[in-house]
Amino acid sequence: MWIKSKRFWTTVVVCALVAWTGFLLAVNRAMHKTPEEFGNFMKKVPMPAYFVIPFETMWSRARAGNINVGEQAPDFSLELHDKSGRVQLSSFRGKPVVLVFGSYT
Amino acid sequence: MAFYAVYILEAHPSDIWQMQSNVRDKVVFASPKNMEERASIANSCVRKLGIKFPAVIDGFDNTVEKKYTGWPDRLYLIDKNGRVAYKSKPGPFGFHPEELEKALQGLHLHASLN
Repeated sequence: MWIKSKRFWTTVVVCALVAWTGFLLAVNRAMHKTPEEFGNFMKKVPMPAYFVIPFETMWSRARAGNINVGEQAPDFSLELHDKSGRVQLSSFRGKPVVLVFGSYT
Repeated sequence: MAFYAVYILEAHPSDIWQMQSNVRDKVVFASPKNMEERASIANSCVRKLGIKFPAVIDGFDNTVEKKYTGWPDRLYLIDKNGRVAYKSKPGPFGFHPEELEKALQGLHLHASLN
């Protein structure tokens, strides 16, 4: 019977691998886009599909960034949330600074 | 030592990629349309999460987030010469305060030896 043949199962496995690879390539491409574009991609991905993505490994690579340890930190000047003034990173020379990036959600 | 929270674009706004855990916790925000709306969410964030250190808000063009690849969350330690002493992996997986703690201890040790 066809369903019990080795060729049938080889075809199934090959098709699954091709689909999975294509899916991972699409996820990888989305991870390299802006956070909004990535979010819009991920909201269309059904939850069970998350489990076939090596998410952490791919995410760490895609979001490695351009700054390396030992390099000069890019300067910035941003307003404090209570509008009490601005903070310029380079004004802290002589003092270490911890930056915690994040949002509410 | 200075600590700053850098409030960046939302990780899971309700109109993009909402998380059920946020809906459960009633932390539901649509993407802000302008800087005033972003600042208002940032203020809720600081107040409700009880963030004790000062928070700065990234510009609406996300310049600082882009430079530091900070989204959705990330930790950095900048030494007294303005160089990166520690950079976490991207969150949520890479966000480990205990790694930052080790880096801080290393910096202190280094400072005391010099």
